[in-house]
Amino acid sequence: MSTSNANFKNKCVTQVNCIFCDSLLCTRGMKAVLLADTEVELFSTDIPPNRTVDFVASCYSTESCKCKLRDIACLKCGNVVGYHVVAPCKPCLLSCNNGHFWMFNSDAVSTLNRLDGTGLNLLLWGDLPELDDSENEESESPSEEECIR
Amino acid sequence: MAVVPESRVLTFSVFKWSSYSSTYLPENILVDKPNDQSSRWSSESNYPPQFLILKLERPAIVQSITFGKYEKTHVCNLKKFKVFGGMSEENMTELLSSGLKNDYNKETFTLKHKIDEQMFPCRFVKIVPLMSWGPSFNFSIWYIELHGIEDPDVVQPCLNWYSKYREQEAIRLCLKHFRQHNYTEAFESLQKKTRIALEHPMLTHLHDRLVLQGDFDACEELIDKAVRDGLFNQYISQQEYKPRWSQIIPKCNKGTSAQEINRDDVNSDGDDNRPGMRGGHQMVIDVQTETVYLFGGWDGTQDLADFWAYSVQENQWACISRDTEKESGPSARSCHKMCIDSQRRQIYTLGRYLDSSVRNSKSLKSDFYRYDIDANTWTLLSEDTSADGGPKLVFDHQMCMDSEKHMIYTFGGRILTCNGSVEDSRTSEPQFSGLYAYHCQAGTWSLLREDSCNAGPEDVQSRIGHCMLFHTRNRCLYVFGGQRSKTYLNDFFSYDVDGDHVEIISDGTKKDSGMVPMTGFTQRATIDPELNEIHVLSGLSKDKDKREENVRNSFWIYDIARNNWSCVYKNDQAVKENPSKALQEEEPCPRFAHQLVYDEMHKVHYLFGGNPGKSCSPKMRLDDFWSLKLCRPSKEYLLRHCRYLIRKYRFEEKAQSEPLSALKYLQNDLSLTVDHTDPDETKEKLYYFRAEAVISKHHLSGRMCDQKFQLLPSALFKSSSDFIPLGKTLICLRFKAAPDTLTVHALHMYTGFSDVDQTYAQRTQLFDTLVNFFPDSMTPPKGNLWPRANNTATASQNKVEKRFPFICKSEQVKQHDRRGDRQFTASSVSDPCCSPSAANKP
Repeated sequence: MSTSNANFKNKCVTQVNCIFCDSLLCTRGMKAVLLADTEVELFSTDIPPNRTVDFVASCYSTESCKCKLRDIACLKCGNVVGYHVVAPCKPCLLSCNNGHFWMFNSDAVSTLNRLDGTGLNLLLWGDLPELDDSENEESESPSEEECIR
Repeated sequence: MAVVPESRVLTFSVFKWSSYSSTYLPENILVDKPNDQSSRWSSESNYPPQFLILKLERPAIVQSITFGKYEKTHVCNLKKFKVFGGMSEENMTELLSSGLKNDYNKETFTLKHKIDEQMFPCRFVKIVPLMSWGPSFNFSIWYIELHGIEDPDVVQPCLNWYSKYREQEAIRLCLKHFRQHNYTEAFESLQKKTRIALEHPMLTHLHDRLVLQGDFDACEELIDKAVRDGLFNQYISQQEYKPRWSQIIPKCNKGTSAQEINRDDVNSDGDDNRPGMRGGHQMVIDVQTETVYLFGGWDGTQDLADFWAYSVQENQWACISRDTEKESGPSARSCHKMCIDSQRRQIYTLGRYLDSSVRNSKSLKSDFYRYDIDANTWTLLSEDTSADGGPKLVFDHQMCMDSEKHMIYTFGGRILTCNGSVEDSRTSEPQFSGLYAYHCQAGTWSLLREDSCNAGPEDVQSRIGHCMLFHTRNRCLYVFGGQRSKTYLNDFFSYDVDGDHVEIISDGTKKDSGMVPMTGFTQRATIDPELNEIHVLSGLSKDKDKREENVRNSFWIYDIARNNWSCVYKNDQAVKENPSKALQEEEPCPRFAHQLVYDEMHKVHYLFGGNPGKSCSPKMRLDDFWSLKLCRPSKEYLLRHCRYLIRKYRFEEKAQSEPLSALKYLQNDLSLTVDHTDPDETKEKLYYFRAEAVISKHHLSGRMCDQKFQLLPSALFKSSSDFIPLGKTLICLRFKAAPDTLTVHALHMYTGFSDVDQTYAQRTQLFDTLVNFFPDSMTPPKGNLWPRANNTATASQNKVEKRFPFICKSEQVKQHDRRGDRQFTASSVSDPCCSPSAANKP
């Protein structure tokens, strides 16, 4: 994965709220554009939102790329607020991305830039502690039998 | 009243609500704005009880309820809900228990509005959401419309009747109370004055014999007659199925009776007489002739090409062919699929698995064969179905026969490719086969659905190891479970073969777990079009990590009409830990790659072989053969059970007054009911009689007698009982609680100001237990005039007791678990004002 974190260190950390019921969805949002269509603006986050959203319906793909997506809805009001990239496609992985797999549609959320500890400056992604990557890696060995009989 | 006026829209207001969130106010349900996502009531949480209480402008007969919805699907839609109604908000009865589809169509449901063919009015209607389509989401209701009759000319007489009916029920509760407490004069004068019958005369007779006279022999006779007259049938029909597994030991061709030789011998010389160990084989059943056909499989080292027929009537396997390839039939194979056309007596087979080492352009052709049973010949229908516009070579797909239209449907399976070996699977995505139809007459294939990711409502996602069943009556295919690469699929949909339409039954969101079978790709399923049921036997998880804790069979029934799953049984750890009975003897061990077929005519399942998944012996395959019947308690069983209850009580009563004659009774009358041919039972009995000494020594102190009695039920019901779990566990539990807690409790319940003695109270308790087996129309009211001291959950208990009147607390907890916490906590228990029994509080 060609996550060039440096590109994103200067981006603001935003708080993301549901536009419909105003419930807090995520405190680690980043304004981003869609790789497949840079016209589309959204907010993304790196960690699965904790008990604020859940999946609705099944996986799907769009016309623009082969990423496997699944919609997420606000847990409070049930309205769809974004999607999760269940399995990214190769072109998307290879292009410059921010490594975030949780997306909020900008028209479904209201956002607020967070301030740092001093309360004077905007909080930037570079200020956030690094995530422990090992958690994300699957510990299971892929020694999968193809067929069981 | 002569003509019932037409149903009209009823005016109501929202009277009370449990909660609401954000701007989703309860009043929003009064307006129908399907295009406005905010025009709805949405609860603040999904923690029960959540409800809305509607108040009608004036009392009305509420005949139906209509739910409006949002213009798109929405996770907050109610998957399950109940509707209650009544003249006051404290006193409501259940009018409906149902669920909404997750779509944009309005749905209308008929509400219960009659009791004994008489219409009753409501002033309040309460809607209780139990589950939303996204299980972790809150409940939303978009719009409600009530229809019914509010014409005073109609409603007033109903109201009058209803008040009278309720008074009658109140009087019956009084009568019950008076009799329980032996206020004989009050009872008689109330009955004389009102002429209201507490119960059917037959039960009055039973009460007379049992409680007043203690004539236990007469009681047994009365029960015996009731059973013979079919009075327990309603009770029986309400019981859950119990599985009855039995291992089939087929007769050998040589004429040796299999029962006479032990299993090792069967294994050693049985090769010729019956199919050997295997997994990944195929089985079909011809229900007309009761013949099970078995073909191919993998014995742990190689593919098989032997073909067998088992005659149920003769209990015998016959080998049709040792090697079908030699008879111009299919080559040895496994993970293929087979289906039978019972009408034309033909069997079809398609697909197979090939090791990557032997895959090449020639071997990867998807051959397709038909076997004619009567002619005993194989016909090659196609050398390669993909060349005919059909599926490519696949394995672990599904295939169903539609005899009526002479069509075959095949869905899913993984496509075998030359470079599709394990090492390469990372670079080349695995491919799955879509949904195809084969027109048997024309010999042509058509592709109905390509593999897609369920993007649209009509799309289907292909998979392997799923279940697909054809419902011959409603002509739909039902598909669920399976696996796609590393993803386990839990969705459930139907496909209308005539209308070419996909209907999602469940999107398989994870939190349904506990209420639906844990599907993966090792479960096996069958369908019963007549009962409108799908049966699922869960398999062993292939996941090695999960295997240890997951070693359990479970059996589920899906009621197609009611769209609900119920778990018939799970063999839990307790069974495994019980050393006296090895699990193997009582039911098949958990496995995968086995086969299950169902004879819907005779209602029997047959299971053969499979892979027990023992990591220490990876080549081990099974050759055991089982039948499974789903049974409800028999009349005979219930009769025996009632007799047992009566005799056990009789002994107890005697023991309190005349210990010696109680012992005599125990030896003579009670031991008569023990089956002496059963060694187990005799052993238990011996133990039991040894306990007698202890009993007499302690002058039958309640506690001792109680402890020893735990053995009695098992002794009495061990043998030939189809329902050991019911008899053994439930009765034992009851006894554990007997004199120490329940009797004391009984005294609390039945005494008070009255001079009821212990005998009267205990006999009354036995009477109440026995009455539970009779139909509601005959019995005294289920409720009580005043809530019993420690009976907080009366409503749920009544419900459960109707099924198992002799249940005690620990068992109830299990019952509820089985239904899933969410559903249980959301039921009327937590909300006493919904319960009909609490409704009659003075």
